[in-house]
Amino acid sequence: MIRLDNVSWRRGKKDSGPVLAHLSFAVPQGGFRWLLGPSGAGKSSLLSLLHLENLPTDGQMTILGKTVAQDEKRAALVRLRHRIGMVHQDYQLMPDLSVADNVALPLRLQNRPEDEIQDEVHAILKWVGLGERLDVPATRLSGGEQQRTAIARAIIHRPGLILADEPTNALEESQACRLLDMFAELSAMGTTVIVATHNESLVRRLERPFLFLERGRLVDEGDAQV
Amino acid sequence: MTRPFSGRKDGLSLSEALPDRSLFALVAMMGFLAALTLAGASGARALSARWSGGAAQLLTIQVPDANAPLPAQGGGSATTTRVQAVLADLASLPDGTEVHQLTPPELARLLEPWLGETDSSALPLPAIIRVKLPPDASVPATLEQALGTHVPGTIMEHNARWGERLRALANSLLACAGLALLSVGGIATMITGLATRTGLATRKDIIKTLHGLGASDSYIAGRFAWRTATLGFGGGLSGTLMACLPLLLLLQMAAPFASAPLTTPDRLLPQNWQALANTIPSDMLCALALLPFAAAFICWFTTQVMVRLWLLRLP
Ligand SMILES: Nc1ncnc2c1ncn2[C@@H]1O[C@H](COP(=O)(O)OP(=O)(O)O)[C@@H](O)[C@H]1O
Ligand SMILES: [Mg+2]
Repeated sequence: MIRLDNVSWRRGKKDSGPVLAHLSFAVPQGGFRWLLGPSGAGKSSLLSLLHLENLPTDGQMTILGKTVAQDEKRAALVRLRHRIGMVHQDYQLMPDLSVADNVALPLRLQNRPEDEIQDEVHAILKWVGLGERLDVPATRLSGGEQQRTAIARAIIHRPGLILADEPTNALEESQACRLLDMFAELSAMGTTVIVATHNESLVRRLERPFLFLERGRLVDEGDAQV
Repeated sequence: MTRPFSGRKDGLSLSEALPDRSLFALVAMMGFLAALTLAGASGARALSARWSGGAAQLLTIQVPDANAPLPAQGGGSATTTRVQAVLADLASLPDGTEVHQLTPPELARLLEPWLGETDSSALPLPAIIRVKLPPDASVPATLEQALGTHVPGTIMEHNARWGERLRALANSLLACAGLALLSVGGIATMITGLATRTGLATRKDIIKTLHGLGASDSYIAGRFAWRTATLGFGGGLSGTLMACLPLLLLLQMAAPFASAPLTTPDRLLPQNWQALANTIPSDMLCALALLPFAAAFICWFTTQVMVRLWLLRLP
C-alpha cells in the first residue's frame, strides 16, 4: 500500500517554495487512483516521489508497505524500484536501443534468464501492438509507438505499483481504451495503479477515486464524479 | 537490420560515451613512460645490489710496472719483481684471505668494454690483484701505507668506499624512479577522471533513467569502470610493448658491462633476440608484465569512485 503523511517536497534550494506541500493520502494495495489537476499542479512531481526518483523533504512516505526513511539505504531503494513500473510523460526510452531491448531492461537489471526475458518481451510487445517492431531503434518510432513501448517497459516485470504520467496523450482512442482496461484488470489483480491525466473523457470512462492537486496541494479526494 | 536482442544492452553505449581514442592513447603514453622508468629502476636496483654485495671485504690493488725488478734492499741477491713483492706482503693478511692476480685474459675481458678487442699486450697495463678478506676480517689500516713505501706507485682501492658512493647514487636513482612512477600514476588517474566525467555528462539522462529502472550503483559504476579498465589495459599493454624496442636496444648497449657479455654490438639491431631477451632481469620482466594490469586497475578504481560519487546526487 501507499501512504503519505504530511509529505512536502521542494526542488533543490531551501529558499524556493515547496513544489508539493503537506500531502496526506493512502492507497490500498490493488487500489486505482486518478491523479488530476491543472498543468503545473505537481502531478509529475508527486509521481517522481512515488517512483523514488526524489525523496520527500518533509513528512513520511510508505511505498508498497515500506516506509522510506530520509536516509534510506540505497540498496533498499533499488529493491523497491524493482517493484515499481513508471511510464514517464516523456517516455524516457533509450535512444540507442531497439524496442525489444528497451522493454527488456527492467528484467535484465533484475538478472532474469535471457530466454525468459525474450519470451516475456515478445508477448508484451504483441499485446501493445508492436509485435512486428521488435528490432526498430526507439528513435525511429512514432509518438504513439514510443508511448506503447514505455508502457510495455513499465509493466513487463509485473510491478506491485504502476505509475503513469499522461500515458494516453499520444494514443488513439481505441488504444487508450485498451490501456485503461488493462490498468483496471491489473488493479483488480492486486496491482496499485496511479494515473496522472487531464483527459476528462478518459476519467469519465473509468470511474475510480481520484486525487486532485492544485499548486502542489491536495484539494480534493473522492469518488470520480468529474 | 539489427537483431531484436543484442548482447548485454542497457543503452549506456559506453563505446561512444567513453571513446577509445583519447583515453587509450593517453594511457598508452603513460604506460610507455612507466615501462622505461621501471627498466631504469630495475637497472639501478641490480647495480645497487651488486655494489653492496660484500664490497667491504674486497680490495683491488694496482701495481704499475709490475714486472720491473724491485730495487734490492739491504744488498739481497735474488731479484724480486714489484708484483711479487706486493704478493709477498699480502701473505701476511689474516687466514682465509683470497688473493688473486688477474691473468692476462681476465684483464682483457675486464677492459674490453673500454678498449675493445685490441691486442692489449702492447699497452703498459698494471697488474691487478683482487683481495677478498674473510667475512669477519677488516683491512688493516696500515696496509695501504706499508705497500706504498715498500713498492712505490702501488694503488690500493678499497671497494667499500666506491661501493658506498655508487650505492647512494643507485638509491637516489631508485627514489627518482619511484617518484616518476607516482607521477605517471597520478596523471593516469587524472586522465581517467576527466574521461569519466565527460562520459557521465554525456550520459546523464540515460543514467537517470537506468537508475529509475532499478539499476544499482554497483551496476552503473561497474559498467563504466569495466570500460575504462579495458581501455587502460589496452593502453598499458601497447605502451609497454612500445617501450620494449628502446629497452632492448639499451640492454644491447649495456650488455658488454653485464656479467655475461653478448657478442659485440657491431650492428644496431641484435641478431640474437633470444639471447638478448634472456639478459632481461626477471624482476623487470615481472614489473613490465604487471604494468597493463596496474593501468587497468588505476582506471577501474578511479572510475568506480567517480561514478559512485556522482550517483549520490540521485536518491
Ligand atoms: N525541471 C524543473 N525545474 C524547475 N521547476 C520545475 C521543473 N519541472 C517542473 N517544475 C515546476 O514544478 C511545478 C510542478 O510541476 P509538475 O510536477 O511537472 O506539474 P504537472 O505534472 O502537474 O504539470 C510547476 O510549478 C513547474 O513549473
Ligand atoms: Mg506533468
